[in-house]
Amino acid sequence: MQLNHKGSIATALAGATCALLGQSPAHADTDSSVLKDWKFDTAILYYGETDRVSLAESVISATKTNNDDSIFNVKLVLDTLTGASANGAVPQPAVQTFSRPSGKDSYQVAAGETPLDDTFRDTRVQVASSWMQPFAETWRGTAGINVSREYDYMSLGVNGLLEKDLFQRNTTLSAGLSYQFDSIDPVGGKPTPLSSMLIPSDNSDADEDTGQYSKNGSDNKTTMDLLFGVTQVINRRMLMQFNYGLSVVDGYTTDPYKVLSVIDANGVTQDIIYENRPDTRTRHSFFWQTKYALDSGVADVSYRFATDDWDINSHTIDSRLRFNLSDRSYIQPHFRYYQQSAADFYQPFVNQSAPLPMYASADYRVGEMTAYTVGLKYGRELDNGHEWAVRAEYYQQDPKNAGFDQPGVLADLDLYPSVKAVILQFNYHF
Amino acid sequence: MRHFSRITRKLCLPVLIVTTLLTQGVMAKQPAPDLLLTTATGQHKLSDYQGQVVYLDFWASWCKPCQRSFPWMNAMQQKYAGRGFTVVAINVDTDRKLADQFLAMLPATFPVAFDPEGTAPALYKVPGMPTSYLIDHTGQLRLAHQGFHIQKQNQYEQEIVTLLEEMESSQ
Amino acid sequence: MKRKALYVSVLIALSQLGGCASLGVQPWERDLLAKDEMELGAEGIDLGLDDHIYFSKEATSGGRSFAGGGCGCN
Repeated sequence: MQLNHKGSIATALAGATCALLGQSPAHADTDSSVLKDWKFDTAILYYGETDRVSLAESVISATKTNNDDSIFNVKLVLDTLTGASANGAVPQPAVQTFSRPSGKDSYQVAAGETPLDDTFRDTRVQVASSWMQPFAETWRGTAGINVSREYDYMSLGVNGLLEKDLFQRNTTLSAGLSYQFDSIDPVGGKPTPLSSMLIPSDNSDADEDTGQYSKNGSDNKTTMDLLFGVTQVINRRMLMQFNYGLSVVDGYTTDPYKVLSVIDANGVTQDIIYENRPDTRTRHSFFWQTKYALDSGVADVSYRFATDDWDINSHTIDSRLRFNLSDRSYIQPHFRYYQQSAADFYQPFVNQSAPLPMYASADYRVGEMTAYTVGLKYGRELDNGHEWAVRAEYYQQDPKNAGFDQPGVLADLDLYPSVKAVILQFNYHF
Repeated sequence: MRHFSRITRKLCLPVLIVTTLLTQGVMAKQPAPDLLLTTATGQHKLSDYQGQVVYLDFWASWCKPCQRSFPWMNAMQQKYAGRGFTVVAINVDTDRKLADQFLAMLPATFPVAFDPEGTAPALYKVPGMPTSYLIDHTGQLRLAHQGFHIQKQNQYEQEIVTLLEEMESSQ
Repeated sequence: MKRKALYVSVLIALSQLGGCASLGVQPWERDLLAKDEMELGAEGIDLGLDDHIYFSKEATSGGRSFAGGGCGCN
């Protein structure tokens, strides 16, 4: 049993990891009551924009920690989206008529108003599961799958993450890979890129056929993500992480429900055409996060820079500051700032006189924009060890003009209206 | 769930064979550095236990595997104290209050010392929480384990028994 | 210009992370790091919900991962 060579106490140490050999099954149950095997996190969220989209989302996540410190997680997400979203067309001094995505019906937008398509009503179900397995003392491997299903959308994904602890676990290196397959089957079919939106007239029989003329079938895309990270313990109070991420999207990236206005020299709409985006996108992201333990609280600050070959550069600052009010309650203000530049194919409208570009989108979400979020969370632990928390936030997006002229009638209209939303959330942990 | 663990069990086997070959928990026989032990009631020394087999455990309230080890250490104390065995647990919490809360939930039947300054773990170069050392009746360090794995309880116990038998046969 | 400044700051951040001997804590000094709220992925549910909102409202998403940190226990 004894060894002759001399070594330091630390280096002589051992203890195999996922050692499951030769133990009797009865022992697996001799866990203490303090350590609970299963933990549940649940939340309901309401997200509501003024006059636009509202979203109700519920999450239940179950996590089991096993005796060998492996962790199993399964998460179910259900959400329902209703309301209107900007279709990409510019406002006009007169009433405008648009076709609904089905092509069988139309809606009107009042003079001076940002055109919103109020057709959206969708329910999404998402299931994700993962298994984390520690091995060989300082390694951890995680494998996960996820499936998501909406009326017009289906998504399947697999992911893996490998982590290695170094220097007495003060440094952790990680490498992750994920592959996602998305299939979209747009309501009314996939529109031909940059083709005109046909407006069904009152005489419906003939128009049903013509309405579907430019829309056909479904499409899909794949997303490959690579992530490399370093986590470093700085001192007893501070922890830092740096990640580099590479994301490659291949396939149908166009939003089949978004359009552009084709205007004349006076800014008056002559035609409405469907948008078209490139079929690849490569993005690099750099993410840095620091956590600092205060005497009674935690400061969490992160910064992300992302740049892609659509020419969208973005900066995100996210900070949460937790103050413990007592041993069992806390408040946590949240502040987030986001800024992005416009995609190279973004344009708020198409000029009739200019040649039609190959790619074009008037979706403000790929345009220049700043956004901020301010919020407050209050959390409390109950006598039975359960925890609840409420969170209220305000989110505002301010799209910006990335240097486009507003000819004629457009000069007096707001092409870049702000979007304002409230977020309310309730969490329960047991 | 049982399904999943069966799969990992299978996957783990090759890894396990390699790691158990590499790491036995056995350490070079050397005198256990002596420690001044401050308990709730007074002070004594680690060397006071010479002549007994000692399971020296470093633990903290914030360490989750430590919660698993306490019921087992109580059981070992109860089973083998009569044969000249004791657990000595050294708490490394900087805030004594947290250690006391832990002990209120999981009371210990063995001596618990408090070392908020971290002198003892520094002396032993403790590589992680928890870490335990087996000291034979002559005061020599014989075995060390990092972490506490429910699956290895039998092995831990067998190691105690081996040192007890060694002590008994030398008498 | 902006990009250059960013690369410089990334380099500085990286050099801070490098295995510098003065960084880090002893295994028995992880009392604060071991707290649940000190985990990088603490409040994972909130982060997941936020990701969903911002993913559908903005052009950039992701970048975060939940590796590392914690109590360093076995």
